[in-house]
Amino acid sequence: MKINLAALLGGLLVAGALQAVEAPAPTKLNTTADHSKFKELQHEFASGPEVTKACLTCHTEAALQIHRTKHWTWEVINPLNNQRLGKKNVINNYCISTATNLGACATCHVGYGWVNSSFDFKSQVNVDCLVCHDTSGSYKKLPGGGQPPVKDTENPPGSGKIVKAIDLAAIAQKVGKTSRDTCGACHFFGGGGDGVKHGDMDTSLASPDKEVDVHMDATGLDFTCSTCHKAPAHDVVGSRYMPTGKDSGDAHMRGKVNKSNPATCQSCHGQAPHKAGAQPAKLNQHTDKVACQTCHIPQFARGGVPTKMHWDWSTAGKLSPEGKPMLKTDAKGHVIYDSRKGDFVVAENVTPEYGWFNGEVTYTLLGDTVDKSNGITLINALGGSASDGRSLIWPMKVMRGSQPYDPVNKTLVKPHVAGNDDTAFWKNFNWEKAIETGMKAANAPFSGKVDFLKTEMYWPITHMVAPKEKAVGCNECHTKGGRLDKIEGVYIPGRDANHLVNLIGWLAAGATLAGVLLHGLLRIVRRKN
Amino acid sequence: MKAHNLVSTLVAAGLLCASTLASAYEGDWKRGRIYYRSVCTACHAAQAGGSIAPSTMTKAEWVAYLQKDKHAKGKDSLKQYVSKSYRASIRAQNKAADKFAELPDEELSEDLKAFVIKGAKDGDAPASCS
Repeated sequence: MKINLAALLGGLLVAGALQAVEAPAPTKLNTTADHSKFKELQHEFASGPEVTKACLTCHTEAALQIHRTKHWTWEVINPLNNQRLGKKNVINNYCISTATNLGACATCHVGYGWVNSSFDFKSQVNVDCLVCHDTSGSYKKLPGGGQPPVKDTENPPGSGKIVKAIDLAAIAQKVGKTSRDTCGACHFFGGGGDGVKHGDMDTSLASPDKEVDVHMDATGLDFTCSTCHKAPAHDVVGSRYMPTGKDSGDAHMRGKVNKSNPATCQSCHGQAPHKAGAQPAKLNQHTDKVACQTCHIPQFARGGVPTKMHWDWSTAGKLSPEGKPMLKTDAKGHVIYDSRKGDFVVAENVTPEYGWFNGEVTYTLLGDTVDKSNGITLINALGGSASDGRSLIWPMKVMRGSQPYDPVNKTLVKPHVAGNDDTAFWKNFNWEKAIETGMKAANAPFSGKVDFLKTEMYWPITHMVAPKEKAVGCNECHTKGGRLDKIEGVYIPGRDANHLVNLIGWLAAGATLAGVLLHGLLRIVRRKN
Repeated sequence: MKAHNLVSTLVAAGLLCASTLASAYEGDWKRGRIYYRSVCTACHAAQAGGSIAPSTMTKAEWVAYLQKDKHAKGKDSLKQYVSKSYRASIRAQNKAADKFAELPDEELSEDLKAFVIKGAKDGDAPASCS
């Protein structure tokens, strides 16, 4: 028995030793720091800034890095034309302007407390770390300053709807890398709702399949946003204010300093991306004129979420016979009229429009002259042509609409729409009051007159890359009336035809054939010589 | 007798250690979301007459449902559809089952639970099927 016991113990020890070698201690493999083990995060937090203060005890430079980014300043100077852009300055044809609407818009600011011009942009604790680094999916920010609800809160005030309190300590202990969910918490909802603004970004990209996006496919490559939109020192590259129209560089290599935009297709795929298939060389010949997205994103809004294609503010303000704001929906339940906002057209699986684009964007800003008699005012005019050598043919979402302007001063306006005060349009449906407030805050003149003009805004499409089998086929462009029917300055076989050139071609081919036949005939006839 | 006690003690200690490690695993709701949508929803939509959104039940209802472990009105068990063997059987046609083919059953079950609790009617982020 003693021998047996010794053998058993010996066996157990050996087995234990072997196990120790073969099975390392369990650990988290997706991070080098388990934030739940930090004592700085192991207590209750009464506000967002308190959490940031704890983060900064280790990440000492993080807030100062954020302060230098457009995510913080909402302002960027376009070096090509010196236009002062960014959400703080531009006007669009969705909710129009952030100016006096920060209580609503700045819910998506990466900070706490921005509701008016008194916001302290130098405060480090006002930086919101959690909005980008939450992995729990439980983090929330409330309108009116973007503070997280640390207690049950009625939102909007007076609505009876309660937003439940969140546990900031639990969220802080689970921080990690950014994800499609964290970026998407704002970028999927641009324009005030899921998929409204971009057309190629909505909640279907949170966990998409390959059909929706080959790169973000959750069961495949599973790219996050930052896989392409790299963020050195927290500054995310790939801005829509200064996009890259044509990347003529090679694919980026490790160790090689490369200052070009890492979010372009070429930065990974290079200039000759087609390696297989029927005619890879022929396809590669297209890349100097055609953006990758043009063929590889056959439609946008493909994930089951519609995007807004048209917004008519001129019909806003209609009330029910009882004097109440109205909502109208289509057969699928999508809102197509809202008294606060006017009429909408929404669409899914939208075939893009196409145009030359070289990366230059010129916005119509507050103070720029607009003229209704010119027809359509371009919110952002895209530069590009077939001949400048810097342009490619890009797919676009073109957002069309009608929005208020000052017909006397001939300028676009920044109306005060969101808010619980007497002048907010969504409260009192009075354009004159709303615009007067908005323009006063923007320190811009307003004549007191309001009219509406038609506008267009261009959105180069770049997400929702389809599987290669679903790429646009040759015959969809190389035909009359095809996708590229309106593209000027380039000869597209199948679309373009010149009768004289065709005649010369056919005559040349016929003459060649006749020559070959004649030559053959003569060889036969004279073979005995 | 003493040897028997020693062995029993070692076994008990081992089991306790193993159960502590297992219970320490915290469900990954994002992984659960992928499996729920790509396996559960895909099959329900194709074969069971429609999908079931996490937001159709409360957290308490989901916990009770998962604890009961009865699928298809008790015809089989839920765990069966999370098991490695089930994943192996469909991995050729299902990319999520293929991606998670080697995950321990317990972990994937916790992942799914984390997702449906989070996406429940009264959860942090009520979730639809798609």
